[in-house]
Amino acid sequence: MRYSAVLVDHFLNPRNAGLMRDADGVGEDEYEGCGDLTRFFLRVREERAAEVRFQTYGCGPTIAAASAASELCTGRPIEELVNLKGHDIEAALGGLPDDRRHAADVAANALRGAALDYLRRRDARG
Amino acid sequence: MSRRVYLDHNASTPVHPEVLAAMLPFFGEVYGNPSSVHAFGRAAREAVDDARGCIARFLAVRPDDIVFTSGGTESDNFGVKGLAQARGSGHVITSRIEHHAVLRTCEALEGQGFDVTYLPVDDQGRLDPDDVKRALRADTIAISVMHANSETGTIQPVTEIGAIAREHGVPLHVDAVQTFGKIPIDVEAMGIDLLSFSGHKIYGPKGAAGLYIRRGTKMVAVQHGGEHERRRRAGTENVPGIVGLATAVEIRGREMHAEAERLSALRDRLWEGIRTRIPESRLNGARVARLPGTANIVFHRVESESIVLGLDLKGVAVSAGSACTSGNVEPSYVLVAMGVPVDWAMGAVRFSLGRGTTAEDIDYVVEAVAPIVEKLRQASPGRAPAATA
Repeated sequence: MRYSAVLVDHFLNPRNAGLMRDADGVGEDEYEGCGDLTRFFLRVREERAAEVRFQTYGCGPTIAAASAASELCTGRPIEELVNLKGHDIEAALGGLPDDRRHAADVAANALRGAALDYLRRRDARG
Repeated sequence: MSRRVYLDHNASTPVHPEVLAAMLPFFGEVYGNPSSVHAFGRAAREAVDDARGCIARFLAVRPDDIVFTSGGTESDNFGVKGLAQARGSGHVITSRIEHHAVLRTCEALEGQGFDVTYLPVDDQGRLDPDDVKRALRADTIAISVMHANSETGTIQPVTEIGAIAREHGVPLHVDAVQTFGKIPIDVEAMGIDLLSFSGHKIYGPKGAAGLYIRRGTKMVAVQHGGEHERRRRAGTENVPGIVGLATAVEIRGREMHAEAERLSALRDRLWEGIRTRIPESRLNGARVARLPGTANIVFHRVESESIVLGLDLKGVAVSAGSACTSGNVEPSYVLVAMGVPVDWAMGAVRFSLGRGTTAEDIDYVVEAVAPIVEKLRQASPGRAPAATA
């Protein structure tokens, strides 16, 4: 098996998968050339990601990366999510093969997008 | 892992125990070079000649019409380039759904100044013989079509195409790698001048294959060196492989018809099980004129590679219709040529059955795939993004 046991577990048992209604922040990323798509939803309480949900379309590592990212970010301050990097998610998955590294980047970009969306909405409200 | 089910026989097959047993002496006591005149060489030569005779009988052709090669890809290269380069220039007709061994070879010929027409196929993946007729030109020098497609199993109307080729005096090369030993081939009735075939798709060894060349067909060698294979293909013969190939052919001669019937029933059982269990699934390819053991099934809103991984983790080996390589997903060019929408083509999975496949295996796979697809769809954003590939 070319994937870590952690990755396989996230793929087989994705955490926090599914739609969130009335989310406080929504972000999406599609990997150009690959078609992988991940969408994150955030419920924010006291400037922290109280609840994280995701939807994803892609290969096994893309699904696993979204699942791992959702666990990684739950409970963390929104400002930290803005700075989340693909390699943070890759580390949480126990590594990725070179040709699947984009899976972690898609998850990171989508999460960052959701965090920025929340901050935009918050600032718009004043 | 409770069970292992191999449904990737169009990729390769396990070597039949009888084949292995027939090959073993040629890794040991019979090691001479068939070109050598001494007793060691003569023993190897005899084995190669016997194998040639066995394959010739199976195809009902003359032994001298068979040239051994290293694989289906070499046979296709030899067939297409051998015809084209013997004529120096001109026009070649092929289809958009050929194996890359033919497509890339045709592209290489274009680079050398040949003209190539890539014919379309219909929504079942079938070529229209009338399209072949319409594509013919005064300078057409070769037609190359596959007998059946490896992804969908759709069988081409080769007999009709062969009649057109013969009527116009154009040689016909047929890539039969997926059909040889699986369904009947009659090179006379089908008007075939060259036929590529391979051993490892029919429980023979990898690296052993051949090209049938009708006597009198103008060809040039594409591999140069010694005077092997009647100067048509240089290189010391792969004696154990050739013996294994012939043994595999002999076994197929005994088993092919009953096996085709059995596999067709299992293939239909698989699709029926999936169709009734999994909504938004669809069968690609011809309904009737299809390889006995092949089912190409699309699961909408799911990427095929994630299904392949899910099944792999349950001990089931299948193949993805789309391939993600270095971050680039290419939907199957075969399915795209058939007009399958890209967002559907991305979820294509090929199940290819073989002699070891049982009804219990099929039921296990149906039970395994349904929850995988269901779970993937639950996490899916509801639409498959349009591939940019």
